[in-house]
Amino acid sequence: MLQVIVNGVALGAAYALLALGFVLILNATSAVNFAQGDLVMAGGLLAVALSTTWPVPGIVLLPLVLLVMALLGLGLSLVAYFPLKSRPPVAVFISTIAVGIMLQNTANALFGAEPRAGPPLLGGGVVEIGPVVLGRQALSIIVVAGLLIAAQYAVFQHTRLGRRLRATAQDREMAEALGIRVNRVIAGTFAFAAAYAGAAGLLLSNIFFVTPSDGSNYILKAYIAVVIGGWGSIGGALLGALLIALFEVVFPSLPLILPFLGGVPGAAWLFSQTMATILLYLALLAVLVARPQGLLGETVQRRA
Amino acid sequence: MRRLIGLALCLGLALPVAAPLAAAEANIPILVPITGFLSLEGTSQRNGALLALRNAPAGVAVVHEVSDTGVAPEVAVNALERALSRGKVTAVVASMLGTQMLAMLPVALEQKVPLVTVSGTAAITERGNPYVFRFFPGDAVVKAAHVRYATEELRARRLAVIYQTTAYGQSGRQHIAENARRLGLEIVFEEGLETQVRDMSPVLGKARAANPQALLLHLHAPSTALVVRQAAAMGFGAPIVAGSAMHQPPTAALLEPAELKGVCAETNASPVSGGNLALERFLEQYRREFNSEPDGFALGQYDGTMMVLEAVARGARGPAEVTRALQSGSHRGLAMTYKSDGRGNMAHSAQIVCYDGRTRIPRVVKRYDDIAPPSN
Repeated sequence: MLQVIVNGVALGAAYALLALGFVLILNATSAVNFAQGDLVMAGGLLAVALSTTWPVPGIVLLPLVLLVMALLGLGLSLVAYFPLKSRPPVAVFISTIAVGIMLQNTANALFGAEPRAGPPLLGGGVVEIGPVVLGRQALSIIVVAGLLIAAQYAVFQHTRLGRRLRATAQDREMAEALGIRVNRVIAGTFAFAAAYAGAAGLLLSNIFFVTPSDGSNYILKAYIAVVIGGWGSIGGALLGALLIALFEVVFPSLPLILPFLGGVPGAAWLFSQTMATILLYLALLAVLVARPQGLLGETVQRRA
Repeated sequence: MRRLIGLALCLGLALPVAAPLAAAEANIPILVPITGFLSLEGTSQRNGALLALRNAPAGVAVVHEVSDTGVAPEVAVNALERALSRGKVTAVVASMLGTQMLAMLPVALEQKVPLVTVSGTAAITERGNPYVFRFFPGDAVVKAAHVRYATEELRARRLAVIYQTTAYGQSGRQHIAENARRLGLEIVFEEGLETQVRDMSPVLGKARAANPQALLLHLHAPSTALVVRQAAAMGFGAPIVAGSAMHQPPTAALLEPAELKGVCAETNASPVSGGNLALERFLEQYRREFNSEPDGFALGQYDGTMMVLEAVARGARGPAEVTRALQSGSHRGLAMTYKSDGRGNMAHSAQIVCYDGRTRIPRVVKRYDDIAPPSN
């Protein structure tokens, strides 16, 4: 039971980093960055490449991954956002899809199509706490992702840079009128979002591997997390990411957690991974109908 | 003078034979999934075909193009129609993705062009289409070997089955179930997984709770590696006999040798395991050309493409003659001897390979030849 929940929280923590970057760009630019999933893939493959050159634990490579991915995020803003910033948001939506496809094909050309395993954060193996056996990698992911999210919170709440980022996200025109260099702030947001996506890639690449085509799956998760949690809400994105991952992992495990459910007619199908996916998307539809602003969302944002 | 006349007559008789041989052209487009969830297998398929084209018999000039079909059926159909519109095609190296093959079959039938593939999806040769040729043992063959190994060698009577929800996975699942029923085995647990599922602990937990004597996998490469890794981490208990994805060197490379201990897999062949001189030469050339390790898909596609090229070298001109050669001839390839069963199934042998926990190179432990598919 505990192992299942730890796995779910670890997956959710990595999804949260992805969703966080997604919502930061959404708030700063009112545009959806559909390359965010491919940035996760890029971070994972970067970690694979770095660990091939320097076979050290992932935690040592993390600062370098954050830095390189931040530069990639800056590049993304220069290519896919700034030339189109005065166009309708759909132009950026399309341009980020294009950049995502370019990233995918570049990765395919550089690394090949096969899945690769990134470095473990601290080391493999398990931690035994009495009768409970927990994966060391899953625990490491939770701790590192938690620290990164806390760092984001601290920067946004307690620094001048954070105030500028928040001001730009809330009202770009007003922020510009108050002398904030909005373009720099937006470029910084892209860098920040890409760095966190790269961190998610590093965290996921060891236990779940990484292939050049992974991005589309991740962007779907980020999108659902943001819709469920609340369009434009940072807290909502984190909550949505956690809920998705817990649902993915815990729902199919219910017959193990509550053995009497195994006796329910059709239990094998009802608690299958396929059913979990169907129910997840039904929940998404229910949220869109009953609470369009999401669980913690604001009602004024526009959906792409 | 008489000698000169004789020589001239000889040349005159010889020229019509030699000229077409020198001019024999094989236009073979390669339409395979290089991106998407089947990219690993698709890349192997492409490499196998390319290697065969590079080793084309003397006198055969090869024309080819490579197109990525991704994973969408319409992309594969568009690629096929595009290739056919560019000139007279001899044969097509066609995607190993079952859904793409099923979508391409009507086009092949309409255009009367042979599709040479390594797709394992059973349905592609069950549609009565005379233009499909499968050089990888279909599910009817490999799943028979898969289930037989589990029960005959591992003495398992209670099986757990985890399969992919793709056409490939569902086809394999159906054949596993049929073979299990025929052998009187009980499937105590089965569940389908989408290719995006990453955390395998729920499905493994439920499979273990069903207390199976063997776990059979029929999954694509990333899912196979995830299941094997997580099964090793949780100490699953029952032996694992995986689908052909497990024998692929890049799949094994994702796992530590210890995680692979006792894991077996069905396949048509395992080139990295060696076996004979011709196979060793193939292995060496493949490594040199592509800087990677070949798998059974690459070898199957190599053999299939080579059968087409040899048909051209023997005088088959155009798709109709190549189709007839594939339908009626046999070909001694590197993996096995191929011959159509009348429905386009060319491969009728399967192997079981197992990992010993010390290296990532599997050992061939059992070979099943001439497995007859059940009649429809």
